[in-house]
Amino acid sequence: MLSESLEVEKEIVDDFKKILGADFIDGQVQRKGRVYIKVKTDAYKKAIEHAVEKWNTYHLSTISGVDLGENIELLYHLLDPKAKITITIRTEIPKSDPKIGTVSDILPSALVYEREVYDLLGVIFTGHPDLRRLVLPEDFPEGVHPLRKEWKPEEVK
Amino acid sequence: MAVLSKLVKWARIKSPWIIHYNSGGCNACDIEVVAALTPRFDVERFGILLKGSPRHADVLVVTGPVTRQTKNRLIRIYNQMADPKFVLAVGTCTITGGVFRGAYGVLGGVDEAIPVDVFVPGCPPKPEAIIQGVVKLLEKLQKT
Amino acid sequence: MSVEKRIFKIPVGPQHPALKEFEHFVFTVDGERVIDVGFRIGYTHRGIEKLAESKTYIQNLYLCERICGICSAAHQGCYAQTVEELADITAPPRGTYIRTLIWELERIHSHLLWLGVAAHEIGFDTLFMLVWRDREVVMDLLEMISGNRVNYAMSTIGGVRRDISDELKHKILKGLDILEERTKYYKEVCMKEQTILARAANVGILTREQALKLNAVGPTARASGVDVDLRRDDPYGAYDEVPFNVIVYDTCDVLARVLVRVDETFECINMCRWLLENLPEGDIRTKFARKIAENEVVGRVEAPRGELFYYIKSNGTDKPERLKVRTPTLANILPVCEMLKGGYIADIPIVLAGIDPCFACMDRALFIDENSEKKWVWSREQLRIYSIKWYKEHGNEVVRERWKQ
Repeated sequence: MLSESLEVEKEIVDDFKKILGADFIDGQVQRKGRVYIKVKTDAYKKAIEHAVEKWNTYHLSTISGVDLGENIELLYHLLDPKAKITITIRTEIPKSDPKIGTVSDILPSALVYEREVYDLLGVIFTGHPDLRRLVLPEDFPEGVHPLRKEWKPEEVK
Repeated sequence: MAVLSKLVKWARIKSPWIIHYNSGGCNACDIEVVAALTPRFDVERFGILLKGSPRHADVLVVTGPVTRQTKNRLIRIYNQMADPKFVLAVGTCTITGGVFRGAYGVLGGVDEAIPVDVFVPGCPPKPEAIIQGVVKLLEKLQKT
Repeated sequence: MSVEKRIFKIPVGPQHPALKEFEHFVFTVDGERVIDVGFRIGYTHRGIEKLAESKTYIQNLYLCERICGICSAAHQGCYAQTVEELADITAPPRGTYIRTLIWELERIHSHLLWLGVAAHEIGFDTLFMLVWRDREVVMDLLEMISGNRVNYAMSTIGGVRRDISDELKHKILKGLDILEERTKYYKEVCMKEQTILARAANVGILTREQALKLNAVGPTARASGVDVDLRRDDPYGAYDEVPFNVIVYDTCDVLARVLVRVDETFECINMCRWLLENLPEGDIRTKFARKIAENEVVGRVEAPRGELFYYIKSNGTDKPERLKVRTPTLANILPVCEMLKGGYIADIPIVLAGIDPCFACMDRALFIDENSEKKWVWSREQLRIYSIKWYKEHGNEVVRERWKQ
C-alpha cells in the first residue's frame, strides 16, 4: 500500500534526474506528497521551470532561506493543489558571495518572498526589479541580516 | 474659571474619548478591545467613544509590545494628543514585552516609550478586564 | 488642468487606531482612480523567526500562537503537527479531532469577525454590531472548551491539552444551532441588502488568471474561481475524514469574498457537528521526547485567511535550527495591489478589508499634490467617512454603470 502510493513521487525524482543530468545532486521522497530535489546553483532555475511546466506546480508557497554555516541554502516550496504534491527545489550558495538569479519572471509571487530573503539573510537576487528591504526598520544598520547564525540580537540593543 | 474647569472635568469623566493603537502586538488584544465596544460588553455606556484622530482623544489605548519601527510613531501620536492625556496599556506584552521579550525587533513594554496610567494584564485580557481597567482610569480622572 | 497635474501620490498609514495592525501603502491616483499601488510592511516585525531558534519546542508553541491573535489556533496547531511529523510521532485520533474542532470553531469566529469589519468599512455599522453580538456565542464556546476567549493554547506537541466532556458536547451543539440560524439571516442580508450590493458587487476585481499567477490563497483565491483548499488538497488533522464542500465563487469581486466566507461558516458549523458526533474514544495526547534528531518538514494548514506555511528544521537538540513561517496575508499582498488598481479611492477601505488582512492599516492618508507641494493629512477614519459620503453623492451613477457591465 505504502510503496504503491509513492509511485508518483518516485517518478518525479526520476524525471528530474533525467532532465537535469549532472546538475542533479539528490532527490528524496519524505512521505506522500513531499518531494525534495537538490540541484546545483546553475540549474535551479531550469529545475523550477521544469517543475512548473511538467508537474504543474504553479503555486509558490514561499522561499525559505537557511544558514548552514559556510553556505546559505534556499528552498523553493512549490505546490500543485490538484495532484496534492509539494516539490521543494533546494540549492546552496556560498555565504561569501550570496548571489542567485531571480525567479520572479516565472513566478511573479516570488517578488515579495525574494525581498524577504534578501532582507533577513542578505541573498542578492540578480534581475529582481525592486530589491528593497521588506520588513526591517529604516534605521536598521546596513549589511546586517538577522537570520544569519553569526548575528546575535544583542548587537542592535 | 473654576466653574469652567469643573465643567470640563465633568465632561471628561462622563465621556472619555479613546484612540486605539497597536504598537506591534498580535491582534488578540485588539479584537478584545473592539469586542468591549460591541453590544455584549458595551463600554459606550460609560460614554466611551472610539475616535480615529489622536487630536480628539483623551485616552490612548495601546496593545502589543513596542517594536523598533513603532516606537517613534507611538511617541508622535502621544505628543499629538491634547493635555491632559492618559494611557491604558492592554495585555501582557504591552506591559513587559511578554513572550516576545528578547526578539531583536521588540524593545519591551510600552513604558519604554511613553508614561502609562493603567496596566491591564492578560494574554489577552478579557473584555471584562478591559472594562475594569477603564473604570480604574475613570477613578483616576476623578482625582485630577 | 493637464493630465499630469491631476496625478497625486497618497501615502496611507502606518498608524491605525481602529482594528488591525498596520502597513503603509502609497497610492498613485488620477482624479478618483487609483492607477498604481506600492506597499511597505514590517511595522510589526518582531523577529520571531530568530527568537524561535533560541527557545525550546515547547516554548515555541506559545510563541507561535502569538504570531497572530485571530488565527492563533491555526498557527499553534500547524506548528504542533509539523513538530509531530519532525519527531515522527502521531497524535491520537481523539486529540486530532479536538484540534480540528478548535480550528473550525476559530474559522467561524474569524469569518464572523471579518463580516463585521467589512460592514463597518462600508458604513453599515448596524450589521457590524449585530454580527459581533452573535460572534460572542462562538467566543463563549471556545472559552468553555479551552478556558480563554482568544489564544486558546489547546494544541500541544502530541495532541491537545484539554478533553471535551459529554456535557460540554451538548452545550457546543446548542451554540452551533444558534450560530447557524443567525448566519442564515446574515446570508440573506448579504445577498439582498442594497447597501452591501452597491458597495461590494463588481468592486475590487481579481480575475482568475491574476489569482493563479500571483498565487492568491484562501478565501481570496476561492472568490476568484480558483478551486483550492488545503484541507482537501493537502489533508492534515482529521480533514481526510470529515465531509465538507469547498466553496468557490467566480464573480471575482468583494461580494464574492463576502459570500465565500459566509458559506464557509455554514460548512464549519456542519463540520463541527460531525466532529462532535463522531468523536473517537481514547487518549488526547501522546508523549513527546524533548530532543528531535536532524530532520526537516514542510507543514501547511488552511488558516481562516488562507494557506499558512511552516518549514521547520531540527538539529538534534531541543531547539529548532530554523523555523520559517509564511502567513496568508503576505501571499495576498500582491493580489490586493492588483485589485486596487483601476478602482476608486472610495473603494480602498473595503477592497483592502476584502482580503481580511492581518496587518492592514489605513489610518493616515497624506495627500501630496506633486505640483504645488500642498499637503493635507487624512486619518483612516476620515477616509472611511469620505468613502461613505462619496458614495452618497456619486453612488447612483457608479452603481448603475457597474451593473451594466
